[in-house]
Amino acid sequence: MNARRIRSAAEIGLTIALAAVLHLVAVWQMPQGGSYSLAMLPLFVLALMRGVGPGMTAGALYGLLDLAMKPYIYHPVQVVLDYPLAYALVGLAGLLSVRWRRLHAADRPTAGVWTAVVPGIIVGALGRYAAHVASGVIFFSSYALELGEAPLWYSLVYNSFVLLSAVACAFAVVAVLPPLQSAFGVRER
Amino acid sequence: MPTTFGQYVPVDSPVHALDAKTKMGLVAAFAVGAFLVDRFWGLVLVAALVGGGILLARVPLRIALRGVKALSVILIFTLAAHALRWNPATVSLVRIGPLAVDAAGLRDGVFFAARIVLLVVGTSLLTLTTTPVQLTDGLERVLRPLTIVRFPAGEVAMMLTIALRFIPTTAQEAERVIIAQTARGASFDSGGPIRRARAFVPVLVPLFVNLFKRAEDLAVAMESRCYRGGAGRTRLNASAMTPRDWLVLCCGSAAVMAIGLWL
Repeated sequence: MNARRIRSAAEIGLTIALAAVLHLVAVWQMPQGGSYSLAMLPLFVLALMRGVGPGMTAGALYGLLDLAMKPYIYHPVQVVLDYPLAYALVGLAGLLSVRWRRLHAADRPTAGVWTAVVPGIIVGALGRYAAHVASGVIFFSSYALELGEAPLWYSLVYNSFVLLSAVACAFAVVAVLPPLQSAFGVRER
Repeated sequence: MPTTFGQYVPVDSPVHALDAKTKMGLVAAFAVGAFLVDRFWGLVLVAALVGGGILLARVPLRIALRGVKALSVILIFTLAAHALRWNPATVSLVRIGPLAVDAAGLRDGVFFAARIVLLVVGTSLLTLTTTPVQLTDGLERVLRPLTIVRFPAGEVAMMLTIALRFIPTTAQEAERVIIAQTARGASFDSGGPIRRARAFVPVLVPLFVNLFKRAEDLAVAMESRCYRGGAGRTRLNASAMTPRDWLVLCCGSAAVMAIGLWL
């Protein structure tokens, strides 16, 4: 295990810790177990700074930790969709990481924010949203059989808190990411 | 700001004494078994198992049922989706204008709502009786067979251990910064979600700076102590499955799966 990998493991561990702390500052708790908080923020920052691999790893492990701390289990498949997979997909924001780093290095942070950071957050948030919507469809189909084709619509509306949370995170990411990229973007060793 | 994390209830009980891996296996079997139940008698037996588990774990009922309060909206929704009918042609239990309560639907609604409550309470017994450290340790051992396909189970456990170790430290730091910013006139609990998120930026910057600085220090400390990943790593408090664990895991899983498949 080389030094780069050890540092990456440390960054992922500490990112999960910060995400868990920000989750405790939940602004609003949803009845089915979701919440509006800034928990996704550290995952977005790590994914955009270090790439899709560390971002998805941190997300999946944060999801497992969230499951271990506060489990809401209604269906065997929902466990995977709502916890490790949903948060792992937040790490998809890292798909725009290379572009963000390149534009930041070229001293074009504003272009980087609009063409890499914001699209990255949209991709990550939609990934998580898709996982929660799929889980919601399974839930509403399993427990509210009388709804016919409505489960998809109920799930789309019910899980829209993810999008609200992502918008709030986007404002914070745009403010904190450029100075962090300047200070810690390039690994020294 | 709340600084408690996890739901562990420190009590001396036979359930607490079980290995984390045993409890994880039981919860997995319970989630599948309880979901497969489709008759009231099956649900009664599942309820008896959950009740027995709570009694054996010596967890106060109030704490065991804490998660149910958060389910109120979803339970009402489940009941309403089954029981309420709009202008039905058949005879109804209660009728208020075009809205009617259907007897068979109400029975189904109660069944599904009860199953949700039992699933949530039953699975929460794992976190009520197992510390977060035991859980990550158990998770590493569950994932260990995947090392055959080069899955880094040791590294995963290390990342989770780092996360658990630094949650209290990070929470204290966050609290300190929030208090300092509040003293300067910042407000974190007013306005809409966007306004609140922006208000948090002065809190987030020092937290992120500390995160990356600490990661660097931690990596240097680990490297200088010759950390080389999970292979060959030993533990101060190693836990292992005892014959009692295997017995409980096999009998418990078989019982709950039998209820699920036959009732």
